[in-house]
Amino acid sequence: MAKIYEDLSLIIKRSRLTFIILVIVIFLVMAFYWKIQIFDYKKYLKMSEANYLRSLPSPAPRGLIYDRQKIILADNRPSFKVSMLKQSLKNSYQTIERVSGLLNLRPDELKARTERYSWLQSFEPVVIKDNLKLDEVAVIEGRKEEFPELRLQVEPRRYYPFGQTAAHVLGYLQEVSAEEIKGSSQRKWRGGEMVGKAALEKQYDDYLTGQDGQLIETVDSLGRSMGEVNRIEPVKGKDLILSIDLDLQKRAEELLQGKEGAIVVLDPGTGECLVWASSPSYDPNRFISRFSPDEWMSIMNDPAGPLENRVIRGLYSPGSIFKIVTALTALQTGLISERTAFFCSGSINLYGKDFTCWFKPGHGNLDLAEAIKNSCNIYFYQLGRSLNIDIIANYARSLGLGKITGVDMPGEKEGLVPSTDWKRKSQGEAWYPGETISVAIGQGPVLVTPLQIAAMTACLANRGIKVKPRLTLVDNQTELKREKADLRPEIFEKVIEGMWRSVNDGGTGHGAYQPGFDICGKTGSTQVISREQAEKMVQRGKEALKTHSWFSGFAPRYQPQIVVTILVEFGGLGGQTAAPMAGEIFKAYREKYVRQTNLQGN
Amino acid sequence: MLDRRIFREIDWPTILLMVLMAIIGIFFVYSAIYYQASQYVWRQVLWLGVSLLALFVLLMIDYKVLLNFAFPFYVFMNVLLILLLILGTRVANTRSWLVIGPFRFQPSELTKLAVILLLARLFSDYKEDVMSFRAFLLSSGLVGLPFILIAIQPDLGTAITFLPVLLGAYILAGLPKKYAAIILIVAFLVGFFGWNYMLKDYQKKRIETLLMPGQDPRGAGYQLQQSRIAIGSGGLTGKGYHKGTQSQLRFLPARHTDFILAVIGEDLGFLGILGIFIVYFIFLYRLFSVSQLSPDRAGVYLAFLSAMLIGCQFLINVMMIVGLFPITGIPIPFLSYGGSSLLTNVLLVGLVANVRMRRFVYVRF
Repeated sequence: MAKIYEDLSLIIKRSRLTFIILVIVIFLVMAFYWKIQIFDYKKYLKMSEANYLRSLPSPAPRGLIYDRQKIILADNRPSFKVSMLKQSLKNSYQTIERVSGLLNLRPDELKARTERYSWLQSFEPVVIKDNLKLDEVAVIEGRKEEFPELRLQVEPRRYYPFGQTAAHVLGYLQEVSAEEIKGSSQRKWRGGEMVGKAALEKQYDDYLTGQDGQLIETVDSLGRSMGEVNRIEPVKGKDLILSIDLDLQKRAEELLQGKEGAIVVLDPGTGECLVWASSPSYDPNRFISRFSPDEWMSIMNDPAGPLENRVIRGLYSPGSIFKIVTALTALQTGLISERTAFFCSGSINLYGKDFTCWFKPGHGNLDLAEAIKNSCNIYFYQLGRSLNIDIIANYARSLGLGKITGVDMPGEKEGLVPSTDWKRKSQGEAWYPGETISVAIGQGPVLVTPLQIAAMTACLANRGIKVKPRLTLVDNQTELKREKADLRPEIFEKVIEGMWRSVNDGGTGHGAYQPGFDICGKTGSTQVISREQAEKMVQRGKEALKTHSWFSGFAPRYQPQIVVTILVEFGGLGGQTAAPMAGEIFKAYREKYVRQTNLQGN
Repeated sequence: MLDRRIFREIDWPTILLMVLMAIIGIFFVYSAIYYQASQYVWRQVLWLGVSLLALFVLLMIDYKVLLNFAFPFYVFMNVLLILLLILGTRVANTRSWLVIGPFRFQPSELTKLAVILLLARLFSDYKEDVMSFRAFLLSSGLVGLPFILIAIQPDLGTAITFLPVLLGAYILAGLPKKYAAIILIVAFLVGFFGWNYMLKDYQKKRIETLLMPGQDPRGAGYQLQQSRIAIGSGGLTGKGYHKGTQSQLRFLPARHTDFILAVIGEDLGFLGILGIFIVYFIFLYRLFSVSQLSPDRAGVYLAFLSAMLIGCQFLINVMMIVGLFPITGIPIPFLSYGGSSLLTNVLLVGLVANVRMRRFVYVRF
């Protein structure tokens, strides 16, 4: 065989040598990998653990709240806040000093604030000052190189353009508390998030709260942003349209100016509340700042209780208003007819005790309608003498007293309708028949809220059909649940006759009289105050003997459109204080909603 | 003439090792960018199929026939590179992509093939033990032209991969010491002027970073730092497939391309890296051994230069991701995502297999 291969031994040798060198280098590199992965493993593992994701919330604007005419009652405004990465605060007294100097905060305040958020993860920002003024924003922005740990953010901030007006309807926002965060499993809270703390802001918090957006970014071991990974845009919360009529609300609050009390106006057909006023009021704008503990404490400790929503949380003795319940009970049970008359001499001796009428000379002989018109105590003592307390309690409950109305407002109180059962349980004593006499005219242990009285009046105006009070507009009439009271429909007219006379025929409710508007109403004055209450009043320099003043009524008599309930604490007689105020409300309502041609009708 | 006997000689083990690496690569491309993976994975699978098809076509043609087309091929590729510089659209700020329909292709990759074929053709008749000055200039110029054309695209990473080819030619042809001195001087001058007048800032940064890592943790050093953290935190056995936080949380840059081995290092740890190195070692051994089996000079050159190119790309990449070499954007052959690079590397293996298949001279009687 001929030699067919050329001599390639030299270049093959060179090739082999090169491969050997390459392999040696590869081995050295391998050793380097060994060093990194086996020797320095712990160090790199720690570094990789410090490399993580962080999500920054982009807060969603809360839904707006409108009145029934689409006037904005709760708005959002852009506001600047400055937050700080928590880890940059940790153990760093110096940082706290510097930052508090920049922002005019007290160092201890700032420190306390960051400690409050000890449960937050270290890279999450803590809000340290909000609602910044423009010059503060300028200072922070201008010196951001010196303060890399600060983060300036714009957030939508709640703003109530009418201040104190309808504050008890709207409620207010406050920073979510640590307890709330721990207690809630469904919702994920952020530190410093604002949440509805009272009234409708609380009731409809989930509805009004939008879906917060998120900016997910990667952070390195020093907490610095390493770039955006993902972004979810925030979704604004849903808007809420209230049944409140801002004009009437304002009028009502004017009338309550300087007084303590409550006014409710509602539509008996739907239960929609047009006015919901509680006095004194407060400015919810003042609560929104996260940083005014002193101001907060001063409002909390105000003895007049501006935060108390008297419409549903004020418990009062109903006084003569309760005579409506007594009358209905007597009619329902057949104890009396509308023609049944009693004689009022000014006082009566029952169970060996003298009971007096508020009108000392006595009303003489009167039937039911006249008794209601004049709010005669003697007449109702006579009924109370013959009625069983448990039957009265039964019908009182049927009319909505002694239990919550179910209005869409948090914190409603039940009130109290006494019964033999109740007394045995609460005091371990038997019920004395003499107490029934007191209850019959609305004294004794009966306690009601103004809203319960308004709801009862609506039931009366509807001739026995109950409605649930509400603060949002009814979109669909069929969804309304109408419940009937356990009373015969025809007996209501007999009581209404008395209420009509009370206003239109020179009765106790005469002060509410408006020409051309068929108002029916009942006054009340609570004569009994507890010793405790009297002491409180004396402390505040009030006349201890003044009574609470009630008026509740509706109009027009047929096809009623509006129920007005007024309570003025220590307002004196119902006819003197509450009734004229109610008249003003009826007037304002009529001017706005009832066609003027009706004026000439009478 | 196509002799059927030679098909028994197809180097299946080498081809299988290569396909294995490509499949491992696809698995980790998926792990690295699972959120948009399907697009990438299917594209890479498609490229693998196309490349294997091209490989078998290549195997059918005798490398000696290929060498006859080396010069026209070389001229064609360089003209393409020039046209690309003039007419090419910028993709990711370089003019290195040829866009045909949905496919993008980097001509600079195939140019490697042309350069290797041409060098083999050139030295196939060169029987001296030591390189002549003419051969030195000619080979340097032939590699230098595409190097410059690619470097100004600018794609310095791909350009640099031409240097191992030239180095391989120097070694085989026997570079005298004085020429080596010339190279050093030229390199120094190029380095000096290049540093001051040619290199872009980001390129300077990368070199500075290599010398002083940790100086600029948010810039160029950041990539290296994150890559090292990924590999280091993998430890011995790794965090598990698809569980590496460095890659899943996107701290690793270019996870599916240049830094794919860092993903493997994080997911599978040192054992995974060791596995890749062993596969690569066997693979390179088989490639280099062909240069010792070749029946002629051209075959030695083809096999050796191809093996050099693949071996050096591998070496540069594994050094780069741990900071032993500047970050230059050189992918790891077969493992990294990238169609042009995969095709070129598969064809390089095809060249080597081609030589091996035809290592016997069949004598007709």
